[in-house]
Amino acid sequence: MACDNCSCSKVYNENIFMPKEAVIVRAEMATASEKHFTLKWADDSPNYFEPGQFVEASLYGFGEIPIGYASSPTRTKTFDLIIRAVGRVSNALHKLEKGDTMLLRGPLGKGFPLDKLRGHNILVVAGGIGLCPTRSLIQYIIDRRQEFKSFNLFYGARSPDDQLFLDDLASWRKAEDVNYHETVDRGSDNWKGNVGVITTLFQKTEIPNDTRVIICGPPIMYKFVLMEIDKIGIPHENVYVDLERRMKCGVGKCGHCQINDKYVCTDGPVFQYSQIEKLEEAF
Amino acid sequence: MNAFFIKEADFTQFLGNMIGARKVIGPKARKNRFVFDQIRKPEDLRLDYDVTILPPKKVFFPPRQELIRFHGQKGSSCIQPESTVLFGVHFYDIKAIDMTDHLFRENNMDFNYLAQRECTTLIGSNVQNIFKRAFFGSVGKGVAPKGHDGFTTKISGGYLYEVYTAKGKDLLAYGTFIEATEEQINEAREVNDSVMDKCPEKINHDSLEISEKVRSKFNSPVWEEFAHDCFSCGSCNLVCPTCYCFDVQDNWNVDQVTGSRDRTWDGCLLEDFSSCSLTGGSKENFRETRGSRYRHRIMRKTSYLTAKLGGPACVGCGRCSSSCTADIADPVNVINRLMEE
Ligand SMILES: Cc1cc2nc3c(=O)[nH]c(=O)nc-3n(C[C@H](O)[C@H](O)[C@H](O)COP(=O)(O)OP(=O)(O)OC[C@H]3O[C@@H](n4cnc5c(N)ncnc54)[C@H](O)[C@@H]3O)c2cc1C
Ligand code: SF4
Ligand code: SF4
Ligand code: FES
Repeated sequence: MACDNCSCSKVYNENIFMPKEAVIVRAEMATASEKHFTLKWADDSPNYFEPGQFVEASLYGFGEIPIGYASSPTRTKTFDLIIRAVGRVSNALHKLEKGDTMLLRGPLGKGFPLDKLRGHNILVVAGGIGLCPTRSLIQYIIDRRQEFKSFNLFYGARSPDDQLFLDDLASWRKAEDVNYHETVDRGSDNWKGNVGVITTLFQKTEIPNDTRVIICGPPIMYKFVLMEIDKIGIPHENVYVDLERRMKCGVGKCGHCQINDKYVCTDGPVFQYSQIEKLEEAF
Repeated sequence: MNAFFIKEADFTQFLGNMIGARKVIGPKARKNRFVFDQIRKPEDLRLDYDVTILPPKKVFFPPRQELIRFHGQKGSSCIQPESTVLFGVHFYDIKAIDMTDHLFRENNMDFNYLAQRECTTLIGSNVQNIFKRAFFGSVGKGVAPKGHDGFTTKISGGYLYEVYTAKGKDLLAYGTFIEATEEQINEAREVNDSVMDKCPEKINHDSLEISEKVRSKFNSPVWEEFAHDCFSCGSCNLVCPTCYCFDVQDNWNVDQVTGSRDRTWDGCLLEDFSSCSLTGGSKENFRETRGSRYRHRIMRKTSYLTAKLGGPACVGCGRCSSSCTADIADPVNVINRLMEE
């Protein structure tokens, strides 16, 4: 029954849960458990997200999950998502191939504060799958390199086989304008690089204390990296953390992503460290 | 003010006309308790109820709601509001509806709630009987109920009906109302004021004071102590008029082709509410202990939302207290205890 009491029929087609179709232009396994999708909007609408924002990715019948943009909006034709198979929805999405449609709702959340990063030394600390959302910023910095001062990039993976974006890593290793440092928790026979947790990279590199720092990785990583940041003496307002929490709606309603009184999906996922360090539930 | 009077004898006819013309939801008896449900006969409406088992939020935010219907991978929105009169809501539940209105409206307008809200005429009624666990008289005293379209109060010889909006005014057409007198308006005010200090339970401090002090008690052992016997059943969330957390799941119809993306009530007291799946089957539960979940609910009621809502997110209905098997959910006990520490 339609409503005869008000002018609702006009407005209520607007549904914040309605996804849009995106077409998969490339799909490839990046590691044994992570699949790399390159997509474009089915209606050819342009990319209009900020690095660090995310989408809710879904297939009807399976559900929706938050996934960070893994490419920079400076690459305008397509965008990348990396999906790790962990449960019901991510496993269903893994079955998709080139030419298939993925449903996406976004961009959502607050990304990296580019205005506060431009003109400064930058350090990105990415652990494991934390490289995916930070790659949106890394590519952005590389594409607009002259807008930033020095650029240090730390990447830690569990093992050489777990490393993501092998082509990117190869080019960063060679690049003159990226100080790329990597480590793996566990080496292998033909691994000649660093072995050890990500914080060991701080001993190997001089980081100036006027650096703007971006941290993204598994929950346990933050505490240890933040201790290193304090040793260098970088003020907490210059440190940004990209956090992960259980999400359902992505639009600040369902309550799942709360850290004390903050909502990771709308106040974050990128937070200025100084604004949340006093929140007991943050780290 | 727009205040009208209807005689007791004419009230039944008014209800009958309204029920004939509109979908009316109001308090009804079920066994020895009360529920909000569709009223089909005037005598079903029980304005003498103390509290309902579930709050009226279910009219706009049903326990299970379709957000999207899909056929294969094609989806369509299914926001279909239905003109409804929600009649006989106590003032504390009106306050709670005003809060959920704000929360579903802020940042991203959620028409899955707001559409039905917009199409609903919300009419309050005075508290004739006080629930045995209620403490609405001592919580959020500075917050006035608003967002409703009209309010009825039982006074000598009939009912005073105060009209606040055009939607509220529309209902006058269903009954024989006359302009209320000054005395009748004053009597109604007294009737409504008089219940405020008759609640069986009482919070001893001012909301702002509570907001700050409880927040500062985040690391108090009191949380684990109170939550020691918690079953993590989430009843305290489900029955609360200001709880609005939800889960979203997809469900297939039997044909395995069509189905819907649905939201269902969820609760922060449930064990996996904040649990994240990580690599290799491992999980990180950001509120692992019963105490941390129990604390989150109370913090949401006393402190986290006060800046946004201009008052506490608890209206003192007492539903959580009575629905908790372990009888530990009552905000009065834990708040008074923390305030005295
Ligand atoms: C802002 C943000 C960005 C993310 N970016 C990526 C990314 O780029 N690539 C990637 O592979 N993963 C990413 N994740 C994690 C990803 O969302 C989870 O792996 C995914 O939700 C697991 O869903 P599932 O249905 O497969 O697993 P299940 O274990 O079946 O999970 C059930 C439901 O719980 C919720 N949930 C469970 N784990 C998580 C989690 N870790 N984070 C949020 N919600 C969760 C989801 O709603 C999920 O549908 C991100 C998470 C957030 C919050
Ligand atoms: S506090 Fe009581 S009602 Fe709430 S989850 Fe625990 S046992 Fe259930
Ligand atoms: S917390 Fe308990 S008393 Fe307060 S509004 Fe919710 S159910 Fe009512
Ligand atoms: S994911 Fe629903 S409130 Fe953040």
